[in-house]
Amino acid sequence: METIELQNLTKDYGEGRGIFDVNLTIKKGEMVGFVGTNGSGKTTTIRNIMGFLKPTSGKAYVDGLETWRNASEIAKHIGYVPGEIAFPDLPSGTAFLKSQAEFYGLKDMSFANSLIEKLQLDPRANLKRMSKGMKQKTALVAALMNNPDILILDEPTTGLDPLMRLAFLDIIKQEHKKGKTIFMSSHLFNEMEDTCDRVVLIDHGHIIAIADMDKDVRNRPCKDFKIEFKNKTDYEKFKKLKYKIIRDQEQYNQVTININNNEINKLFKSLHNYDVKFIAEVKYTLEKHFKNILINNKIMENKFKEEN
Amino acid sequence: MSVIEVKDLTKDYGSGRGVFDVSFAINQGEVFGFLGPNGAGKSTTIRHLMGFSKPQKGETYILGMPTFKNYYKFLSKVGYIPGEIALPQGLTGWQFIRMMQNMQKVHNEEQLSKMLKLFELDDVVLKGETKRMSLGVKRKLAIVVAFMSDPDILILDEPTSGLDPVMQEVFIQLIKNEKERGKTILLSSHIFSEVDATCDRIAIIKDGKIVSEFIANDLKHASTKFYKIDFLSKVDYQEFNKICKDGKIIKVLDKSESELWVYIAVDDKHINLLIELLSYFPVKEFSNIKETLEDYFMKFYKEDKDFGGAL
Repeated sequence: METIELQNLTKDYGEGRGIFDVNLTIKKGEMVGFVGTNGSGKTTTIRNIMGFLKPTSGKAYVDGLETWRNASEIAKHIGYVPGEIAFPDLPSGTAFLKSQAEFYGLKDMSFANSLIEKLQLDPRANLKRMSKGMKQKTALVAALMNNPDILILDEPTTGLDPLMRLAFLDIIKQEHKKGKTIFMSSHLFNEMEDTCDRVVLIDHGHIIAIADMDKDVRNRPCKDFKIEFKNKTDYEKFKKLKYKIIRDQEQYNQVTININNNEINKLFKSLHNYDVKFIAEVKYTLEKHFKNILINNKIMENKFKEEN
Repeated sequence: MSVIEVKDLTKDYGSGRGVFDVSFAINQGEVFGFLGPNGAGKSTTIRHLMGFSKPQKGETYILGMPTFKNYYKFLSKVGYIPGEIALPQGLTGWQFIRMMQNMQKVHNEEQLSKMLKLFELDDVVLKGETKRMSLGVKRKLAIVVAFMSDPDILILDEPTSGLDPVMQEVFIQLIKNEKERGKTILLSSHIFSEVDATCDRIAIIKDGKIVSEFIANDLKHASTKFYKIDFLSKVDYQEFNKICKDGKIIKVLDKSESELWVYIAVDDKHINLLIELLSYFPVKEFSNIKETLEDYFMKFYKEDKDFGGAL
């Protein structure tokens, strides 16, 4: 049984808005990222997983339970941080966290307290007057305090400053290490690169691509290196060797080559004979990966149009 | 003369909060990045520059004029995006735009419609009340208002917080364009990629003091580079480490004997020596680890990151 499963999930709001035929399975212990522009369907998908919305068609399951019918049951197993946080009408963060503990039937507050300490949160503050960062910290403590197996986080780091973001991501990474299943949306590709096993790209309500981070981004079999030579002669000579040059900047005596990891020794043996100014890797990133897919999709689309 | 200048600015709010002896100057046509976590003093500095607060010590200048006394002279010259956007109640998007145009005393309809188109704000959205707008739409409206008079100076306090990647890209292109047109821009941001893509110089502020100011390209083209090398055999790994032992040319910063990798720092002037060395060692993988703006920023905050930015 998969921890989260979306089967042909559709929520049609009309005028092309909503999500359409979304299929996704997330295994236990996986951390999956979710990216897309505002309005692309991220929050709608997440709200369907939480069972807050009734699908137009298709189904969402958490631990094998259909979410819309079992929303209150699955809520016990999911820690959820919503995109726009609206707290109930309570005087302080402490009162809110206590009411959450009561809802879960939670007696032991030691884990909650350790999180509060790690986040340097003073929950006694007035809920209404809290800054965005404090609200997000409070929401994260509330989501994690019951030690749920599943975490669903809707843009938890948006608007946070770099230090808070780091503190947040550290906690989320630790939860991932403990074996939690995590589904998190974000606008920041680099934080997904560091943390996720897979990243899903959604556009106009359709899943466009799913990147396997290890295979597609982190451990690719080839790399791009930019090499600058100290003189034109060496630059010209190097170009005659049969390396795959993907960018050539003559004015700087610079080439960028694409090379298999297992050919790297050959490269050093070649470069040994030249006067090199520097060698730097041009990193392949998740952002590039998705851009390439989108560009290829466009090309295919245009080809298709031409053929018809 | 600098277009924007902050000179020995001090505002002490007590308990170590505020800004202390902050100085920097921005020349015409420059984009200046201003980095720091919440509470470090970014917005305090910016609010002084806008003439909203009176300095306790020091002075802030725009076009050579102290800002607190002359703020009304800048309304038509400075585009400003505040860090926290509070739009007036009971107005539609259009009414807000017209109100701000009257304040700026500039009605540049061509520039306005260009900006509205760029940020995809259509008539339907603008006819709606500002309080019903989503965070992203409010942000976009604030950007449009700051740029609609085509001002020469832009002071932007976290302008893109909450914008999606596509709109962030649009914003970056806009800043690059404006820079080419000779605009002077102060950009405070939490988004490193955006600062990286646009800024000529960058200052980092911590606990109300500037802890670093540098030329962005110096970091991008740093002559010391960091590489990770994965070896195929233990013999090679050990031999390599032996050769690098003195650390004079190749400095081993980290290594793992069980996984057979080293993490080294080498200055570009010694790169040929590294290449020569590696031409004798069979290497499984060779990669270059870049020090990013984020890494550099974090260095200043690492020692007490648990306390920084909180509450």
